[in-house]
Amino acid sequence: MTFRTRLLLIFTLAVIASVGLVELLVLNSTRQAFEGVEAQRVDALVGQFQKEFDRRKEEIVAAVNGIARSEALRTIATSADYPTYYDAAQDLASTRGLKLLELVAGDGTIISSAEWPARFGYSEEWLTHGADWHSLGAFLKREELADGVALSLLAVGTVSVDDRQVYVVGGQELDREFLSTLVLPKGMRVLLFRNLDPQFSASALVGDTRIGDAERLQPLVLRVLGDRRETTRIVGKGADAETFPALPLPGYEDTLLGVLLIASSRRELVELEASLRSTGIWVAAGGILMGVMLAWWATARITRPVQRLAESAGRVAAGEWGTTVEVASADEIGKLARAFNRMTHELVEQRQRLVQAERVAAWRELARRLAHELKNPLFPLQITVENMQRAREKYPEQFDEVFREGTSTLLAELSNLKQIIGRFSDFAKMPAPEMQAVDFNQLVSETMRLFEGQLTQAHIAAKLDLARDLRAVPADAEQMTRVLRNLVLNAIDAMPQGGTLTVRTSALSEGIRVEVSDTGQGLTPEECERLFTPYYTTKTHGTGLGLAIVQSVVSDHKGHISVDSEPGKGAKFRIDLGG
Amino acid sequence: MAALAGWAGAETRPRYGGTLRVEVRLPGDSADPPQLGPGMADLNGSFVIAQWDAGRRAVYDASESAPGGRPYLDRIEIQLARPLRDQSVDLDLGKADMVELGPNELRRSPAGRRIWPSAPVRVLALVFGPHVDDARVREALSLAVDRGAIHRVLLQQQGEISGALLPQWLTGYAFLFPAAADIARARTLMSGMPGGARTLTLGVDDPGLRPIAERIALNARDAGLAVTVAPNADVRLTEIRIISTDPARALAYVAAAVGANSPARAASSEALYAAEKSLLDGFRVVPLFHLPDVYGVSPKVKGGPGVSPLGEWRFENLWLESGRP
Repeated sequence: MTFRTRLLLIFTLAVIASVGLVELLVLNSTRQAFEGVEAQRVDALVGQFQKEFDRRKEEIVAAVNGIARSEALRTIATSADYPTYYDAAQDLASTRGLKLLELVAGDGTIISSAEWPARFGYSEEWLTHGADWHSLGAFLKREELADGVALSLLAVGTVSVDDRQVYVVGGQELDREFLSTLVLPKGMRVLLFRNLDPQFSASALVGDTRIGDAERLQPLVLRVLGDRRETTRIVGKGADAETFPALPLPGYEDTLLGVLLIASSRRELVELEASLRSTGIWVAAGGILMGVMLAWWATARITRPVQRLAESAGRVAAGEWGTTVEVASADEIGKLARAFNRMTHELVEQRQRLVQAERVAAWRELARRLAHELKNPLFPLQITVENMQRAREKYPEQFDEVFREGTSTLLAELSNLKQIIGRFSDFAKMPAPEMQAVDFNQLVSETMRLFEGQLTQAHIAAKLDLARDLRAVPADAEQMTRVLRNLVLNAIDAMPQGGTLTVRTSALSEGIRVEVSDTGQGLTPEECERLFTPYYTTKTHGTGLGLAIVQSVVSDHKGHISVDSEPGKGAKFRIDLGG
Repeated sequence: MAALAGWAGAETRPRYGGTLRVEVRLPGDSADPPQLGPGMADLNGSFVIAQWDAGRRAVYDASESAPGGRPYLDRIEIQLARPLRDQSVDLDLGKADMVELGPNELRRSPAGRRIWPSAPVRVLALVFGPHVDDARVREALSLAVDRGAIHRVLLQQQGEISGALLPQWLTGYAFLFPAAADIARARTLMSGMPGGARTLTLGVDDPGLRPIAERIALNARDAGLAVTVAPNADVRLTEIRIISTDPARALAYVAAAVGANSPARAASSEALYAAEKSLLDGFRVVPLFHLPDVYGVSPKVKGGPGVSPLGEWRFENLWLESGRP
């Protein structure tokens, strides 16, 4: 992974984390704010409903008191013949819009019942307990009706004429019909759980009920019945969820007769939150995208000088010592670039100095070698010429013989000098290889045949280990023959007491390998290091150009030569050539 | 006898002509006008049917060849299936000359209204269907009914409380049949009964009887019976007319009306009592009240009374104040 990619990844992750965190915090705080507003709205709705409920209570009280104060009721109260009025309640109830109305005599006996006309003559004892009906207002009561038990909202009025008293018990049944008449704000519905049976039953839940309400609301209802205090719960999920403040409804005798459930839809809130979330996600996505783009731009801006530095360093590594980078800033990257330029500048200078020093050293070595090489043939030449001069002056009779011997020696030494000069010339004039497909097994075999006699004379055993099916590789056969010859001669020189010379060929994945190893005295690590330096030799004779020529040829073939050796363990020269 | 008091006071100067407008609550929905029984059937002989709209209206014209001579009235128009309350209003507004009066209408009648009552000639009874085969349930219901409250309030003390099929005025022994409620005994009878056996449906033949049925249902609850008023009933609150002054004939007719076996012809009061008692044993039929027919009559109707003690119509001697001379 590149530095730029890594940097971009870090920037991107940082942007995503930051935007995500901000998004989360914003959404959370927004949701809390909305929840607060929703709670206030629900409270307001509940307050509005309670006002409406209280207004209906007051209406009932007013209707009951209106009946109690009516002339019709005074007539009934003054009458001694109550049975005559057994159906009076129905007309009075319909006149006042009451669903429930009973006219009850002072002793608690029902005179007339609108909701259950057949109950005349039955007793309503609870009325005779002396409660302050006026201050009590409307209250909840469990009411037995012909078709079952009902929860009713009742008020009691009284009328007294002389010593006769008549109770007017009127109200409304708290049922679906009653709840439907309540004026409710939009998005609100009211349900009533009538706690009239020992067990919770779905049929006890009336009002604007929906499928599944009973199951969903049962825990809330049971909680309110148990705690006897208002409890608010959110019921349902998603846009269908509703906030349910549940109000306990105590009855006349302080028993909990019902639970009023005022449902307020959370649809608007949920949709608003969803909209905010959606907008937030889009904004976050946009922010992240913009952040990534900025990160891309910033990364490119930051890494471009570094990349240029890396490319320049690569060029330096490839040998372009004078490579420099453009300095465009004064920051750390600029300092780095300047340091790099300074370094390459110093490298170039040092290299020039090194080359100069090596060149001087090479000339010195060459001069030394030339002096050494030329000194050997020149000394016999000098001696021979001096002998010839001395013989002419002192021994003229022997001069011819001396001259003959002397000229012979002179010619031999001059030949030697020509040979030395030829080798130097060969090294100087190394031609470019003429590449052609060369079978190295054949090349090795033919070269080794040339040395058979010399090897026998030097008591050296030749051993060929040639790879089967070695493919031909492009090479200059003549130059490679010279390489092999030099290595074999080197090996022979390394084994003056005899030994074994092994030449091995092997196939590489992309080319071939030729190894020439001996069992001679071996080389020290220092010798191994300097072995291919021109004019370096460990021998008492030779120009020190043999292995230099070998390395030069191998290098011209884009190959590689190396040596493995330890003192006393022989040496192995390895040549790898590409296919 | 109070019911017979209306026979007195006939007008001394009858007039011919005019149409007597009568309203009744029962529908006559048969293809032909009734030929037997009280009401329209009693007009045969003095009047002849002139128009019959089944279920709605019947018109009778005076018969010139009536055995007792031509009636004073030219025509009688009878409107059928008219609710009691509407009949009373029509009488007050002068749209009708003779209407039936129920207990409530009677209670609300203005002072001085002319009323022609019959003797108690309708027996109101509970008749159990064959599905109610447990006599304890039937007895419990009969003991639960508070006849006194119903008579006092719903019937406005019209008619008589009775535990007998035939009225006291007809047999003289009706008081021997118990009619008092006994809730404690009813509860005892019902104790230990399974829930299914405690449930009954009570039907009514006449919607006007529904308040009585609902009161009976309420009384039954006190005894531990769950009685609901419904059309398909296990037990019916039904009204049976006494059609004869001959007790034996009347009993036979009542027995047939309630689906009981016809009793043997009784030659004596004791035998008749025994026959009636055997009809009532087992509580298949529970008599509750004996009720009279009560008619309100316009002041311009003269003569009469136009109703016999058995509730038969006697219109041949009636005339209208505004009739032709």
